[in-house]
Amino acid sequence: MTALAIRMARQVRDRINMPASFFVAIALFALFALTVPRFATSGNAENVLRVASILCVVACGQAIVLILGGIEFSFGSSVALASIVTVLVVPDYGVMGGFAAGAAVVLLIGVLNGALIARFHLPPFIVTLGMLMAVAGLAATLAGGLPIDAPPSEAFSWPARGRVLGVPVPVIAAGASVGTLFLVLAYSTIGRLWYLVGANPEAARLSGIRVRTTIFLGYLAASAFCALAAIILTSRVGSGQPSLAPNLPFETIAACAIGGIPLAGGQGRASQVLCGVLIIAMMNNAVVLLNFPVAYQQLMIGAVILGSVLLQKSSGSIGVLWRSSVPKRGGR
Amino acid sequence: MTSRVFIPHLGGRFLVAPLCLAMAVVFFGGAAPEFLSLGNLQNIATQMWLLALLSIGQMFAIASRGFDISVGATAALASTAAALGANAFGLPGLLAGPIAGLAVGTLNGALVGVAGIQPIVATLGTLIAVRGIALLLTDDGQVVPLVDAAAAARMSFNPVLGLPLAYWAAILLVCLAALILNRSVIGRRIVMLGSNPEAVRLVGIGYARTQIRAYQLCSLYAGFAGVLLTLRAGTGLPTEGAGMELQAIAAAVIGGTALSGGVARVVPVVLGAAFIQALLTGLNLQGVSPFVAQIAVGLVIIGSGLLEYAIRHFFPVEHRSWT
Repeated sequence: MTALAIRMARQVRDRINMPASFFVAIALFALFALTVPRFATSGNAENVLRVASILCVVACGQAIVLILGGIEFSFGSSVALASIVTVLVVPDYGVMGGFAAGAAVVLLIGVLNGALIARFHLPPFIVTLGMLMAVAGLAATLAGGLPIDAPPSEAFSWPARGRVLGVPVPVIAAGASVGTLFLVLAYSTIGRLWYLVGANPEAARLSGIRVRTTIFLGYLAASAFCALAAIILTSRVGSGQPSLAPNLPFETIAACAIGGIPLAGGQGRASQVLCGVLIIAMMNNAVVLLNFPVAYQQLMIGAVILGSVLLQKSSGSIGVLWRSSVPKRGGR
Repeated sequence: MTSRVFIPHLGGRFLVAPLCLAMAVVFFGGAAPEFLSLGNLQNIATQMWLLALLSIGQMFAIASRGFDISVGATAALASTAAALGANAFGLPGLLAGPIAGLAVGTLNGALVGVAGIQPIVATLGTLIAVRGIALLLTDDGQVVPLVDAAAAARMSFNPVLGLPLAYWAAILLVCLAALILNRSVIGRRIVMLGSNPEAVRLVGIGYARTQIRAYQLCSLYAGFAGVLLTLRAGTGLPTEGAGMELQAIAAAVIGGTALSGGVARVVPVVLGAAFIQALLTGLNLQGVSPFVAQIAVGLVIIGSGLLEYAIRHFFPVEHRSWT
């Protein structure tokens, strides 16, 4: 009987192989469902997913950069610049033209970041931080420091408010992003190269991998995810905002870290991104539902970020328990 | 014998900040003569110390191979605590600012050194939580007016020997930082931790303790910056300091602090802060909007990275033969 149970548990483990943060997410969901009124309702679940979707899309890009051993701060202002460019372009070139221009701006910033980091071997920290400030200044200059309203139209609000088969478009975008990230990381050549370069760039170089190109493509891919998020975000606020999402880079880094991606590079999976994003989204949602004052909300968010990272760090983490409680296949 | 002033294998790393500052002075002085007026230079020389204190703190964290993005929030909390303390206990109560800073630093250091969380995640968590605490202390972000605002104004605006007292105190703290970094055991340990964490473990120096000290120093200086903020404004400012952490990191890096840890010097960092302040003031005098000034600061940060690349490229570490 026990042998059968162990074998079944082993099979389940081998099939799903969930990150430790998965269990944190489950525990947090159970906690909130029991303690927070109206948390575990389908309406609220959709709300959580809708809010989480933008963070999720950008976090997918951040994950690639983190796997490469880098870090990306410029997301925060590149979405703002994209929203302003979109709104400025829409009157002349239509909604599609506007979104395309916004996305192009984000990609251009990604190209700049990638080129500076890969070609000149600059610390990603410095490059993307400088880019964050420079682009924020550019966005504010273009907009004159004030938000610019977009001409409202059905097409403009579709990326944020539309539905396909009853599912909100942002949620579909988030799902597609995580799916793409999973496929690219697990099955594509460039995905495997990102792990190699992130784990040991010198070894990668010596084994004939074009490290510079690999890093460049990583930052470009990250900015592609960010471009998608910028379109949804612009559509949601319906205007060009010079300070659209200043905390986006920090939230995405926190999401990846909570999911269990080490900032040292070389490791990280799509499922970890998803779990980290869900933890942050549930927490944000719960503090709002509980109607805490802003001060307590911030205290609680800070504490949960630190707490969930601590929980995974501690040697007796749930993930370790999960693995060690199931004997290895074949044994010794 | 290697000179203590110029370390050849580190190349011109520490020359970047003085050169940038000189370039800024020449450029803005040429473009607008009033930039070089005594009043304006005095203005820069007083404005810069807030950023200088934050950058010095940041330097300790970066020297230990970490960094601290919570310094802006810590300064705001310290500013609030100092104002509350001064209102309760008179001027000695201002010390509540540095004490609050020290508490935040202890938490940061423990999270990084004991729990092993990456610095950016640890200090991001405290950044958010500390902002929450500052709001909590002040009834959702109301400023805390000093009861004895006249005394604060005397300390921060009445010159004694050319500079107001508060700025002399800041200069004293900067000198103290140089002593701590270069002459004290803990300073050398922090630098050692940054240049080779594994060695620190192997020779039996308390790894976690050293890490905690680095973050304590960082937040302590942020706490002093908060007191300066309170004295200057005459109120505790619980929501101030957003974006200051980025400028502090920029000043530290322009000042030659290596992000890979283990290389730090106080005077260049202060000059780096002076450069950023001169840049902001100079652009302001040119009638440039603050947004464009923000672009300039961003480009300067990237430029400082490029300069570091050039230094590495033209003075590789291997070429030590001419020392």
